[in-house]
Amino acid sequence: MTTLSDIKPLPPDKSMRNETREDSIFKRLFLSPAVAILLLFSIFPLVWSLGVSLTTCQRTTSDQHTVVGDIFCLGNGAEFSLANFTRVPSDTRLLTAARNTLFYVVVGVTVQYFIGFGLALLLNQEIRGRAIFRLIFLLPMMVTPVAVGYAGRMMFDSGISPLAQFQRTLSTFLTNLTGQPISVAIPWLTDITTAPYTIVLLDSWQWIPFMTLLLLAGMQAIPEEIYEAARVDGASRWRILASITFPILLPISLTAILIRSLEMFKIVDVINVVTGGGPGTATESLVMYVFDTALSYGNYGYAAAIGIVLLVLVIIFATGFLAISRRITRNQLGGTS
Amino acid sequence: MKKRSRRSSIFLYSMLILWAFICLFPFYWMITTSFKMPLAVNRGPVYIPFIGPIDDKTPPVVNGIYFKPTIDHWKFLLVDEQAKTVRYFRNSLIAAGVSCFFAVLIGSMAGYGLSRFRYYWARLGWRNDNIAFWIISQRFLPPAAVVIPFLLFFNTLRLIDTHTGLILAYTVFNLPFAVWIMRDFFDSLPIDLEESARVDGATRWQTFLRIVIPLSTPGLVTVALFSFIFAWNEYLFALMLTNFEAITMPVYLAGMKSTKGIEWWYMSALTLIMVTPVMLIGLFLQRYIVRGLAAGALKG
Repeated sequence: MTTLSDIKPLPPDKSMRNETREDSIFKRLFLSPAVAILLLFSIFPLVWSLGVSLTTCQRTTSDQHTVVGDIFCLGNGAEFSLANFTRVPSDTRLLTAARNTLFYVVVGVTVQYFIGFGLALLLNQEIRGRAIFRLIFLLPMMVTPVAVGYAGRMMFDSGISPLAQFQRTLSTFLTNLTGQPISVAIPWLTDITTAPYTIVLLDSWQWIPFMTLLLLAGMQAIPEEIYEAARVDGASRWRILASITFPILLPISLTAILIRSLEMFKIVDVINVVTGGGPGTATESLVMYVFDTALSYGNYGYAAAIGIVLLVLVIIFATGFLAISRRITRNQLGGTS
Repeated sequence: MKKRSRRSSIFLYSMLILWAFICLFPFYWMITTSFKMPLAVNRGPVYIPFIGPIDDKTPPVVNGIYFKPTIDHWKFLLVDEQAKTVRYFRNSLIAAGVSCFFAVLIGSMAGYGLSRFRYYWARLGWRNDNIAFWIISQRFLPPAAVVIPFLLFFNTLRLIDTHTGLILAYTVFNLPFAVWIMRDFFDSLPIDLEESARVDGATRWQTFLRIVIPLSTPGLVTVALFSFIFAWNEYLFALMLTNFEAITMPVYLAGMKSTKGIEWWYMSALTLIMVTPVMLIGLFLQRYIVRGLAAGALKG
């Protein structure tokens, strides 16, 4: 089992030993389209984004749907300026959005990992109807995030949702029981402190299956003999989990956490539908701020700059994570050998 | 396997059932809501689409946890508003379907190249693995970091609000994953068949099309599935790059806020229309999803 951090050795060359002229043509033919597309539509826009972020590129109409400006964004007299980046440290909205995004990444992915791990453990038992359960558990992952947002609003609405009704009933019950007014109603979507957690819950509903399925696949690859041996030695269930299952799954866990975290940095659709970034900007993510700046304010230069900030955060996170996970796996190998 | 105690069995199954309930309840809620009259929604939660015999001449809309179902909302979306619903659904289908095709085609070509040939980019000192790593790293690039150039670029090329624009964008986003999975898949294919075909005089291209592609159906299905689902669910680029004509389902849905507040009954029905195709595909091709996830992460 390898992780992102390893670089695989060069695979054995499966092509004919002597490269013919035909081969050298096809060799280029196969790879070129993909490379060309990525250069043209991924690398080039990235460089361009950096360029635009250094200009005062701005839409001049209030109509969201007209993009005035040419490809160089010079159509509206945009000029070179560092203003977008000097604005970054003092833009409290940007700082809030960055903090929220990191909150989603850290808290969200942690929640998803542990619940996903727990569910994978359950599914890895000998149970009846495992296929059915696995199928049901998989469902949320395929739902369009925008739809998850609407479903979430219906679930967490403080007036008409079943959850709200349950909380009201419970409040009445507790009030009658104790004789004191007790309310367990939680303002899921309308409170500055709880709303980000609600977003995490919704995203988790959708993405716990990802963790579950991956970890389950990892668990099923662990040979039964290892468990047998541990049991013969009298290891308790917790001991087996802590000393066998968890360490063996560590590399795949780290990879799953990394992938999910990098995806989480892109979170936008659920938030946009559920809270629209509110209350205030309490739930706004960086990606949301990018498109709001571009669409509502038409400030393309600053939107590009926020995109760059996001990218820098992602790169710092990924580099740090890879360094730490390399150390963890190395220590572990050292410990067990 | 050690025999479980009765108590842990009860715990196990109750946890499983609890989580299954959490997974399924939102679907139940959306389905029932799409059959509720507005009054039945706004009065607070009602659960069961049935109303018992009540002696009143005009039966009420709700009765305790029961409500009287109606198909009006479905009729509204599928008959009255048919043109709109069909158009946005079709837009989604075109954007997702065509971009999925290109991602699979170009991705499998590059994957095949990386698996069967030896590349060396002298200037960068890159070999196959470096190239593959560079390609997969593009998958983690946040699209928000490149959305502004896309906007300006597409504006100049008159690709805003067109199918072509969305197809292009989605192909780019799906390509890295496609290359990665397909390379992995081709690595696991034995090379003997190709070699004998080559001995019989087939060109590389013929070998690829006639021998390799038919053998790689599982890999292709995995890639197609993931690409399609991604493009079908994508929101940010669809929002930024379309205005009226080429709007896809998620953008249409997210923008459906009227002055009367959210009309939950329409939202629910529309949401179901949007998610059902993907869920059906996903259910039938379940094992490919697991395989794709595993390939993406285990080898990743």
